[in-house]
Amino acid sequence: MTVRRFHAEIGTALVTAGVGLAAVIGASELGFGWEESGPQPGYFPFYVGLVLIGASLWNLMRAFVKHRDAMVQERASGEIEEPFLPRENLGRIGTFLAAMTGFVIATLTLGVYVASAGYIAWSAWRQGGYPLWKSLTIGIVFTVVQYVIFETIFKIPLLKGPIEPLLGIY
Amino acid sequence: MGNFDLLMHGFGVAITPMHLLLMVGGVLMGLVVGVLPGLGAPNGVSLLIPLTFALDPTSAIILLSSMYWGALFGGSTTSILFNIPGEPSSVATTFDGYPMARKGESTRALTLAFMSAGVGALTGVIVITLLAGWASNFALKFGAPEYFAVYFLAFAAFIGMGSASPAKTLVSLTTGLLLATVGMDTVTGEIRLTFGLDQLLSGISFLVVVIGLFGIGELLSTVQEGLRFRGVSSRIDLRDVFKTIAELPRYWATTIRSGLIGIWMGITPGGPTAASFMSYGIARQASRKGEPFGTGRPEGIVAPETADHSAGSCAMLPMLALGVPSSATAAVMMGGLMIWGLTPGPMLFATKPDFVWGLIASMYVSNLIGVILVLATVPMFAALLRIPFSIIGPMIVVICFVGAYTVSNSSFDLWLVLLFGLVGYLFTKLDYPLAPLVLAMVLGHKAENAFHQSMILSNGSLDIFFSNTLVTSIMVIALALLVLPKTLQLSSRLRRRQPVE
Amino acid sequence: MTKIKTALLAATAVMAAAPAMAEWAPNRPVEFVVASGAGGGSDNFARTIQSALTRNDIVDAPMVVLNKGGGSGAEAFLYARQNAGDPNKLIFATNNVYLLPYVAKLAYTTEDLQPVAALALDEFLVWVKADSPYETITDLIDAAKEAPGTIVFGGSQSKDTDETLVALIEQTTGADFRYVPFNGGGEVGVQLAGGHIAANVNNPNENVGQWQAGAVRPLCVFAPQRMAESEPISGEMGWHDIPTCSEAGLDIESYQMPRTVWLPKDTDPEVVAYYQDAMTKVAETPEWQDYLTKTSQTGAVLVGDELADFIQKNEDSTVKVFQAEGWTAAE
Repeated sequence: MTVRRFHAEIGTALVTAGVGLAAVIGASELGFGWEESGPQPGYFPFYVGLVLIGASLWNLMRAFVKHRDAMVQERASGEIEEPFLPRENLGRIGTFLAAMTGFVIATLTLGVYVASAGYIAWSAWRQGGYPLWKSLTIGIVFTVVQYVIFETIFKIPLLKGPIEPLLGIY
Repeated sequence: MGNFDLLMHGFGVAITPMHLLLMVGGVLMGLVVGVLPGLGAPNGVSLLIPLTFALDPTSAIILLSSMYWGALFGGSTTSILFNIPGEPSSVATTFDGYPMARKGESTRALTLAFMSAGVGALTGVIVITLLAGWASNFALKFGAPEYFAVYFLAFAAFIGMGSASPAKTLVSLTTGLLLATVGMDTVTGEIRLTFGLDQLLSGISFLVVVIGLFGIGELLSTVQEGLRFRGVSSRIDLRDVFKTIAELPRYWATTIRSGLIGIWMGITPGGPTAASFMSYGIARQASRKGEPFGTGRPEGIVAPETADHSAGSCAMLPMLALGVPSSATAAVMMGGLMIWGLTPGPMLFATKPDFVWGLIASMYVSNLIGVILVLATVPMFAALLRIPFSIIGPMIVVICFVGAYTVSNSSFDLWLVLLFGLVGYLFTKLDYPLAPLVLAMVLGHKAENAFHQSMILSNGSLDIFFSNTLVTSIMVIALALLVLPKTLQLSSRLRRRQPVE
Repeated sequence: MTKIKTALLAATAVMAAAPAMAEWAPNRPVEFVVASGAGGGSDNFARTIQSALTRNDIVDAPMVVLNKGGGSGAEAFLYARQNAGDPNKLIFATNNVYLLPYVAKLAYTTEDLQPVAALALDEFLVWVKADSPYETITDLIDAAKEAPGTIVFGGSQSKDTDETLVALIEQTTGADFRYVPFNGGGEVGVQLAGGHIAANVNNPNENVGQWQAGAVRPLCVFAPQRMAESEPISGEMGWHDIPTCSEAGLDIESYQMPRTVWLPKDTDPEVVAYYQDAMTKVAETPEWQDYLTKTSQTGAVLVGDELADFIQKNEDSTVKVFQAEGWTAAE
């Protein structure tokens, strides 16, 4: 599948309009009028939300106009509208995003140290083509350095999971 | 020349082996803290405060302020190399610093940033030295309407001109403004736009958004274009450093202008982050010829860096003389001051000359130390780009997420980083400008507060923004900056069109 | 023989360990969760205690400070709720723990936290600009009665301690002020020195710098007795020379903000006892005494029933003000 720029434009404009709508609804619950002592708490987000909706609709319209022109040109010259994400790139981004999401989930369940050692080792092994032992070493060394900087030097506790207490680290 | 004698006395206090050691140590620690996104100068400084109980106040403030300078320097490093601002005030440095590094000139970009940062800091300290008394009296003139005018001026200077489509700029700006309103409102005490999520109660952290938008967003773009960093081929040569230093005098106009903007924003409540944006915006407007900004223009690095650092050093003045911190780090240092039993206020200059002038003298020395240390590390940092992407990429991911987590120890922020990473990627690809969003997040809520406070003071009348010379002149300059560029553009376009018709 | 010996040894070991077992002590880092941003009042409070505990070897475990100041401190209290039963988290706050739920709809109640101790009382004073026409608190109040809603009182935050006190003054005297909320005490102090507002109700250490410089002056302090003797701060005047507000003719006996320490709920009684003991010891350290003098706060160690009483009284009287102003969040 190839994502066209047109699809991305439409999607983004709809989402930003949605954000604007959410703000308008949230703000109208707070009151968006102008009292004697100045604006009510919802005044500012309400109107900013309206502007956001307006600008998003404008972008939506422009995307359609551009797309129509591009389609006309495509029929005339056979030149295809600028692709946003060719299939090959989509796959690469997908893998990277999935790995990153996996890292976040692992951080929340296993703690950041286990997650980062695993994530870095996995990337070096699967994507960098390094031998497994090298990849693991890289991951573990990075994690130890991270531990020393945050917990030892700057005394900032990071998220920990079920494994650290077994090693006597809290 | 009373101030000069006092400064000389200050040097006598500041230059002792022990203090020099503290400066080097402070700057080095600051560099580490500054390079790691999220773990910023405020965190670093507050962690050192318990350590300072064992020191006398002068040594303590020298340590803390040196760390601050180090963090300011370090923040630009990752901005330039990876498009990840290590500190909020180095966001504007990414606009031209990162493109320049991608062209293979990372050494030049880093050197430009560090040198202009050093120049900016020295400008700031000189102003403090000369104008200590006057500037703090001037800062007293700022009430709520003047605050609003200053924020408005920063907005106007930056937004006045931009190459992106107006509708997209507007989307970016308003999104930023909305993000800034989430959480508890100071003036009304209402909780806004949290949609019942407890995690949003404290608002959406500006740093978390920036780490996502710039750091993760940029990584996604890099991945899409192939799994490696551009600019890898950059030669690393100490001679490049010196070549760039020789190039600096060419940007004297930008440097002076940015230094002045920094001083203005440091003394008034604008703060370093706003100063760097404003300075970048004005530099862009002032430039007539050459390649456009955002493609690696040297002025685009010099302007924000100079302003950032001169504002950073000038911000020490209102903190010491008035007890108003104009940056988060200054707020923490002020907490330290109180614990050491010093009261910030106009009398501090009279009652504790050793402390005040020792600090000011140390600012000269430690910024110098900072520039030297940081230049020495340029080749090392530039070499980071040579590490294969499959190793450094995931490491940056981890650093970004950990950095975001340390901002407020909230695991919810991890999801926000992921979300804003996607937003950053999409926005960049679709030519939505990111800068207005960031600036709106920095200034939006402050501007709204100042506006609301002014309205309470004036019983809802807008006349208050034109009620005295100071506020009127700031407002007029701001409106001019907002309107003039567009009208000039229009009129020149009209004039150009006439001969054709 | 050897068996008996081992058994004996084991028995002595158990006996020696017994008292230590009864007394709980933290075996991992203790988190100091601060209900204010770095540099705020509660932050300085927590960091002073951290250093007093470390320097005097009162608590052996390492201690880390976490700032969770979002939503006027609500962030810290929600965090306590999420960590119910965790004996390694102490929350440092003021009276906002039990007052916040009244004015804002929040996902925690005061019952989610267990009070440990109050260590100090921060005083409130009415300050005016040095060249202001108001010489006494009654001047200020009379002026506000004459021209209702024109005299501007600045304070930090909305519906927080400062605005509550201004409302209390209004309710007591019938005067009508205009209240403008700012971000923090320091900022309010400068607004007063610059003449942008007419008066404020800052804590001593938020305004002392401007007082030293002769830019502002205090009218009265909301305490049952005058403040402790001190060196002269401005001219001849020291803290002790400031009249109490009831002395000066404003009938508010006391309005003070406690600096409090809390645990999440559902911890063992030994845990509470351990920290109570540690906090009582902190109050005797030189670091703590130094902190009280430097910030001009009044030392007051309250634990157990005394603390519960204090909280109850403070809560009741403040909520009365909230109700009269119509601030209590509709359920």
